[in-house]
Amino acid sequence: MNNFSISSRSAQDVAVITPRGYINDMGAIRLEKTSEQFLGRGIRKLVVNFADVQFINTIGISIFTGIVQKTREYDSLLCFTNLKKIHCDIFDMVGLIKHVKVFSNEEEAITFLNGRG
Amino acid sequence: MPFNTLPNSDYIGRHNELTNRYEKICQAGIGMTRSIMLAGMRGIGKTEFLKQLFGLLFWKQDRVAPFYYSVHDALLSVEAFSRTYLVQFLCQRLAFEKKEQALFSYEGMSLRDVSLLAEDRGASWVKTIIREYERAADPISALRVALEAPHQSILKTGIPVAILLDEFHRLKELSLGAAPDHRLVSLFDDPITRNKAPYIITGNTNEILEMPVAGLLEHVALKPLEYADALSLAQSLLERQQSKGAIPPLLVRRLGGNPLYLTCLCTKAGVTAQNTDRDFWNAYCEELIEGRLSGFWTSVFKNSFSNFSSRKIALSLCYKTYHSREPLSLEQIAESFEGTTAELETIVHGLYGAGFIEGAFGVMRPVEDLVLRDVIEALFQKEILAQPAHDLQQEFLDRLLPQKSDMTRFDLVLPMAKEAELVAAQCLDQIGKNLGFDQDTIGQLQIAVIESCINAIEHSGGAERKIYLSVIVEENRMEIGIESSGREFVVQQTGEPFGDREGMKTPGRGWGIKLMKRVADEVRFEKTARGMKTVLIKTFNKAMSGKKEEFKNRE
Repeated sequence: MNNFSISSRSAQDVAVITPRGYINDMGAIRLEKTSEQFLGRGIRKLVVNFADVQFINTIGISIFTGIVQKTREYDSLLCFTNLKKIHCDIFDMVGLIKHVKVFSNEEEAITFLNGRG
Repeated sequence: MPFNTLPNSDYIGRHNELTNRYEKICQAGIGMTRSIMLAGMRGIGKTEFLKQLFGLLFWKQDRVAPFYYSVHDALLSVEAFSRTYLVQFLCQRLAFEKKEQALFSYEGMSLRDVSLLAEDRGASWVKTIIREYERAADPISALRVALEAPHQSILKTGIPVAILLDEFHRLKELSLGAAPDHRLVSLFDDPITRNKAPYIITGNTNEILEMPVAGLLEHVALKPLEYADALSLAQSLLERQQSKGAIPPLLVRRLGGNPLYLTCLCTKAGVTAQNTDRDFWNAYCEELIEGRLSGFWTSVFKNSFSNFSSRKIALSLCYKTYHSREPLSLEQIAESFEGTTAELETIVHGLYGAGFIEGAFGVMRPVEDLVLRDVIEALFQKEILAQPAHDLQQEFLDRLLPQKSDMTRFDLVLPMAKEAELVAAQCLDQIGKNLGFDQDTIGQLQIAVIESCINAIEHSGGAERKIYLSVIVEENRMEIGIESSGREFVVQQTGEPFGDREGMKTPGRGWGIKLMKRVADEVRFEKTARGMKTVLIKTFNKAMSGKKEEFKNRE
């Protein structure tokens, strides 16, 4: 069974990560690894596009807290885009939303990040 | 008559079976009538059937002499049994000659009294049997004489005898001295196979089936009353109490054509002059919880399990069997209950013997009796979970009163496989679409169901690696049940998850339940026979109901 996949790309100093399907513990770990790879390469602006994310469970979310912490350690910027209302509610419930920037789509997030030095 | 019987007009629904058996017995003279075991669930009317048959044989013909004997718990020493058996046989046999009902008053009658009676009637064969009985060298020989007495009477008079034995299972307690010796009942083996003396044996079917004598008998089932007969019996019982109203058809069907159940219900409902459907269901619920029906089965339970600890395990085990969707092996039972395998096997055997469960070969399943299922449910809730009778009454009423026609229910069983929670979530999505519910709200419930399934998997402690998902939709209310064999994971009083303080500091611990509570209008955690059940309730707003209505109309 493969209900999760991830793709990513980077241009200049912005990386866009696009997870797809069901983010559970395994999915979130893969997401965490991908973001760590970008941070390790010196990319300090991360966008996670949730457009194709169907479900996120709370175990997956607990791993997201690690990603958020890591980006803060690297003094980086983390943006979430295309969040469904329910996913936004969950991030809000666990207190994550205040640590990230939320945009309705990828372009808005990139424009924002490009405007930041 | 040696006992009370129902008036013929009140003996409803058994005419064909009774006539058929009567005619077969009347042919005993040609030696072709086989001995039978009359099988059937408790309350189905086996005893009444024997009594009615005795009445017919006694009054309506003179070719075959009937003998009715009901084994009594207090008369199970070989000496007491053989003496009462012989006295009653001889009295009934002499009574048959001239249809003398007065001779049925054999309480306190001695063999000497019977001997004098026989002398008075010139029945020397009776005196011969009594003499032989009194000269028997030991109690076993005397018992043989008593059991052979019907056959001896046939040899002397030429008149066949039909022996109608009730409560036969009690004979496994027949004793010579202090302890019961189940082998003694094998002394019936020869008499039962004699020509011209057919036996009809009845009592507790499961227990008789465990006795070797069952192998010598043709098994004839006394079936539940047909629906129309059950209805007639109910009407007759209600009319006798000058009560108006008719039992709702669904309730008649639930009672399963069992005359005892019908009698209990009609007696309870008959107190009210005019009964509505709800009154009848209410009377049924009262019967289940504190009525005669409950008393009947509770007494069977208590008699089968005399000590408290085994009684508690037996009730829990019975409840589990009734709530398991698959038959349970002894191994599965042993995994779920404390106690040695031998202790559990004794309890299982007791439940089987008493007629609470089926499973003569060790794979246990419920009996097909909805009333018994309800009684066990009520007894478990009342005695094990200490639920107040009033709450229980309301709960049963809510559950049993016919549901509104627009209620829809979906049930799904999921294996605890990797990401099985997604299957549950996808099903919920489709149900929402089918019923026209708001997709955002369904999306929220999907997340809650995923969390609940993860909890069920994480806390699963039982052998059954399955999740039982139910979705009940009634009007604009959706109730989702997620049940598994897992252990409790919340504190009942607070609804908060268990966990040590350190563990709770781990990110993500307890978020699932928090999320469920955020998404659903009501979240309940119920301890069930299977394990734990999480219930999520969500009421959709009126606009969405309108959408649902529109969807229905489109259909």
